[in-house]
Amino acid sequence: MKDWRWALVGLVCFALVLKIGAVERGRGQPTERISGSAGDVLEDDPVGRLKVFVYELPSKYNKKILQKDPRCLTHMFAAEIFMHRFLLSSPVRTLNPEEADWFYTPVYTTCDLTPNGLPLPFKSPRMMRSAIQLISSNWPYWNRTEGADHFFIVPHDFGACFHYLEEKAIERGILTLLQRATLVQTFGQRNHVCLKDGSITIPPYAPPQKMEAHLIPPHIPRSIFVYFRGLFYDVGNDPEGGYYARGARAAVWENFKDNPLFDISTEHPTTYYEDMQRAIFCLCPLGWAPWSPRLVEAVIFGCIPVIIADDIVLPFADAIPWEDIGVFVDEKDVPNLDTILTSIPPEVILRKQRLLANPSMKQAMLFPQPAQSGDAFHQILNGLARKLPHDQSVYLKAGEKVLNWTAGPVGDLKPW
Amino acid sequence: MGTAERSKKKVQVYKKAVFHFLLCFVMGFFTGFAPTGKSSIFSSLPVLPSNQSAVPLQRGELLLEEIPEESWKFNTTLENPSTEEEKEDEIDGLIPRRLIILVTPTRMNDKLREVNLRRLSNTLRLVPPPFLWVVVEQKSDSSQVSEILRKTGIMYRHLVFNENFTDPEVEMDHQRNLALNHIEYHRLSGIVHFAGLSNVYDLQFFDHIRDIEVFGTWPMAIVSANRKKVVIEGPVCDSSEVVGWHLRKMNNLTETRSSPVHISSFAFNSSVLWDPERWGRLSSVQDTTQNTIKFVKKEVLEEETKLIGIPPEGCSKIMLWNVQIPTGTTPNNSVPATLPDSGQR
Amino acid sequence: MKLSALHQSYLNRRLNSFRGSSPLDSSIDGGGLKSPASIFWLLIHGLCCLISLLLGFRFSHIIFFLLFSPSTTTITRTTKLYSPTPFLPIKVPDALPVQSPPNKTLVSSSRVVVGRHGILIRPWPHPDPVEVMKAHHIIDRVQREQRIQYGVKSPRTVIAVTPTYVRTFQTLHLTGVMHSLMNVPYDLVWIVVEAGGSTNETASLLASSGLRVVHVGFEEEMPVSWEDRHRLEARMRFRALRVVRQLKLDGIVMFADDSNMHSMELFDEIQRVKCVGAVSVGILAHSSNPDEEESSVAQKDDIENSPMPVQGPACNASDQLVGWHTFNSLPYEGKSAKYIGDMATVLPRKLEWAGFVLNSRLLWKENQDDKPEWVKDLDTVGGDREHIETPLSLLIDPSVVEPLGSCGRKILLWWLRVEARADSQFPARWIIDTPLEVSVPSKRTPWPDAPPELPSNETTITIEENREKQQVMKTRPRRSRRSRSKRKRETRVADTQVSDRNSGEK
Repeated sequence: MKDWRWALVGLVCFALVLKIGAVERGRGQPTERISGSAGDVLEDDPVGRLKVFVYELPSKYNKKILQKDPRCLTHMFAAEIFMHRFLLSSPVRTLNPEEADWFYTPVYTTCDLTPNGLPLPFKSPRMMRSAIQLISSNWPYWNRTEGADHFFIVPHDFGACFHYLEEKAIERGILTLLQRATLVQTFGQRNHVCLKDGSITIPPYAPPQKMEAHLIPPHIPRSIFVYFRGLFYDVGNDPEGGYYARGARAAVWENFKDNPLFDISTEHPTTYYEDMQRAIFCLCPLGWAPWSPRLVEAVIFGCIPVIIADDIVLPFADAIPWEDIGVFVDEKDVPNLDTILTSIPPEVILRKQRLLANPSMKQAMLFPQPAQSGDAFHQILNGLARKLPHDQSVYLKAGEKVLNWTAGPVGDLKPW
Repeated sequence: MGTAERSKKKVQVYKKAVFHFLLCFVMGFFTGFAPTGKSSIFSSLPVLPSNQSAVPLQRGELLLEEIPEESWKFNTTLENPSTEEEKEDEIDGLIPRRLIILVTPTRMNDKLREVNLRRLSNTLRLVPPPFLWVVVEQKSDSSQVSEILRKTGIMYRHLVFNENFTDPEVEMDHQRNLALNHIEYHRLSGIVHFAGLSNVYDLQFFDHIRDIEVFGTWPMAIVSANRKKVVIEGPVCDSSEVVGWHLRKMNNLTETRSSPVHISSFAFNSSVLWDPERWGRLSSVQDTTQNTIKFVKKEVLEEETKLIGIPPEGCSKIMLWNVQIPTGTTPNNSVPATLPDSGQR
Repeated sequence: MKLSALHQSYLNRRLNSFRGSSPLDSSIDGGGLKSPASIFWLLIHGLCCLISLLLGFRFSHIIFFLLFSPSTTTITRTTKLYSPTPFLPIKVPDALPVQSPPNKTLVSSSRVVVGRHGILIRPWPHPDPVEVMKAHHIIDRVQREQRIQYGVKSPRTVIAVTPTYVRTFQTLHLTGVMHSLMNVPYDLVWIVVEAGGSTNETASLLASSGLRVVHVGFEEEMPVSWEDRHRLEARMRFRALRVVRQLKLDGIVMFADDSNMHSMELFDEIQRVKCVGAVSVGILAHSSNPDEEESSVAQKDDIENSPMPVQGPACNASDQLVGWHTFNSLPYEGKSAKYIGDMATVLPRKLEWAGFVLNSRLLWKENQDDKPEWVKDLDTVGGDREHIETPLSLLIDPSVVEPLGSCGRKILLWWLRVEARADSQFPARWIIDTPLEVSVPSKRTPWPDAPPELPSNETTITIEENREKQQVMKTRPRRSRRSRSKRKRETRVADTQVSDRNSGEK
């Protein structure tokens, strides 16, 4: 009899252990309020934790370029312009370079748009090179670390690789002169040559005023199951198909155009922002690069982002619990998208929506004018502050050179 | 112990026990595939559950169907009369139904457009899913229609077009064509019905049209303000077989354009548009004409054998009314131009 | 110990995919003993069963994770379960195939291949109907949650009062109001007062709503003049208010006329009322007679191009009630309808009842003490002969009315009164008498542009509604000689002839 009891106790314990395992596996993530580090991190105030020195560059590196094409102000790469403006009036700015923790070079490398509004990256490397040359000869601070305490904003498709086609971008790699600097970029994909360790991934720029103007009350019933507006095929740049979005967007279209639950189309309606607010899931598939402004829009409009981009590194992933607010679908699982989405239990969906309603998360996605506490500017500063103090090894010995100024394609070496 | 008899008995007992355990195990095994919140009796509740999620979390494991229902009850303890319905709803919630695609064209200078849109949407809100409402509108600066639609909570597609029209009938047909093109392009599969803004529906209507295989038709009543007449249009049936038609009264010979079968008195399977082979036909919309609506009308005419009367019991019940209210902007020909019987009063 | 061994062994067997149970060699003490021991046994047995259940449950999860996660979708598809484990969706990104267990956690290799990719198109093209229903279930759940979170907290019962009577437009109008009320997410009682006594026709319509309905018959017939009709309706509403008092219904009384059209926001807005509230009513005064149009286009333009008239509370800039927008009937002078079905514009009262809501407690006989002194008792007003224009007559001081809908700036309901002529006939219960003699198969759809076919097969049926005292409209097959004689013509023409003749007969 005794044996029996022991056996029983053992069994119960065994069951308990298994059970708890299950619970942990099931929950794993924090509850509604963004508990723990994430939430706190979003509300951090960077002021007093770092000092940034802004180099004074000739206006041909920034203001003049903007004058030539004011469209850059509304483009999704506009973060580089607004970050500059923000830093100029920010309390973290220091005029004394000796006490600065970080150095910032205001150069608008992506503000070169085609008549259609597409950014051309071809001049960017030469421009960047020219700017670095300038600061390294006028100030002593670049040569001290060869850029290790400098940060650059490179919001291009593939960041500092400066090309919009992935294969070309990989071939080029990160511009040699930026290899020691901290890059602040929208591009993020694990194990990609265009994303180096220590880079800060930021959201693309989405016009905050315009989005705010289209906000509808939260009680408006969400009546769209899945929403997407955008290209499925980029016939112009990818006539064969299969390169653009690695075929994922085409797969979305081919599999779900006949599904009434999928409100997907290439036409951009005037009610685009409103429609996102009455959708439950918003598809955020990769395009040429894994990220898109839809990520920002989805978070702002409380629409659960369905992220289809393998190995994507999401903006401020250390502070925003993307796994909790979004749904991740592998590119190869796109044909099962309907099954995946309909089998999410309603409770989980409601929880994601509650998390998405968190204002600090929305704030972190935006570059408002003027800046507000907790916005994307502050998150960038937070990210920079968390990297302090600099490791002593970044400081080079006198005369030591690491960077090879003559590396890279010949075209990039031409003067700007 | 030790005797063969005894051990035999024991073995039997064991067999039974093992069988039971195994049964339970299998039961548990399959329960595992079931939907649960964070299911476990051992689990503590999440720190900050809003109360409606707390209930199903605990119970999910054992009572599958009751999860949504329980939470529903919890949420709306006040809704006594409707909880019963909801309960049933949840139980048959997963019984698939056929999609209904309702096409509603709207005219910009229709004075009653917004009001009628609200009234119709109140009705359509009650139609069980799946249901898709395609509303067509001329592109304009005003967002009234989108705003009204947005508040309904109905799954809808709002299509806009740029062209200008002078003839309202042509415009209506253009709008219907636009909607049909959308359905065809997206290969949406369901029962298509043209619901004018001035239509009033009995909710049973929507249950019945889901039964349509290819084409279906029904009688509808056209009632006009300040008239004495009620005009019935549509089929005469022998059970569900169409044997004849009620004819609209026409005292005005200029009305040659309007067709005897009202645009709202038939519905069809949308696959007719994009899958003609399925219905044993060679022609599809693209082959014949751009005018999809014309194509549909022609098909109704040709496929009388595939036409069924709705409701199936002799199509004698009117479940759809068209209200004609003269607003000064309504086209003349939409109102039967008969003089009132002056001998009445 | 032995039991654990037993479990162990059968756990192992389980892992060997449930192969047949081999007889056990272990034995039990006192397997078939008497009561206390056997009860204990039963308990143990039950407990073990439960544990097995839990183990099975756990095991299924493990199995699920280890083996099926890449093909989860197929499992859910085939088993048609309500949804798979809760872990799946959250873990979707991690749900990698077994073949490549070292997934993202391995830094060394990226699974993303640069270059051209195939476009994955699944072989099953159409949406799974069960999944469609699941999606709708999710949408429904989300919308409910939105209502809970952002909607009215602790809503009060809505008591809708509707006067009605049997007529051609009743079904249409009443259906419209009924559908609005059915959408109300709050508790609702619908008091329907029917002139001429309650009829089965109305009752069956009301029953189809599934709402809580109080159907009250009102003995008097609905008069034919608009003026009298308004008076009677006011008294019918008072009857309803007495029902509210009798049943001590607690909530907000609203007047939902069967000719109103409601915006669903109205029902949220009226939840804010404390005692008596007023909302703005949009008046859709339709022009009546299309024939009139050409003759008085100029005059009409004034009326129709002017913005929609609105009745309701008028506020000043600081959102204080300062007066009332009433309906200006001047442009319609001499052109308004006097009888139901008149060929003229039907005009509203100065202030329609539909624009008012009140707290039902104001009507109760009891708690007279709580009742504010500016409210009259229900018994002192609304005597049989007294005509009450608006609920304002219930109030001694009308300035206490609370203006709702951003102080009357928002129109939340509309007033459109259209009726068929009072003598209009309609099929009883809207069921057409299908004549049985129509058995001749008519295989010809009467499209106008269709060429006429074999005329012998032709059947045209017309409906004769011009009968006056006939309760049930008849459908008459017109297979008469007359229509046969017209058979070479289009059916449409034939029909015209028929109706001409009919009116001639009268």
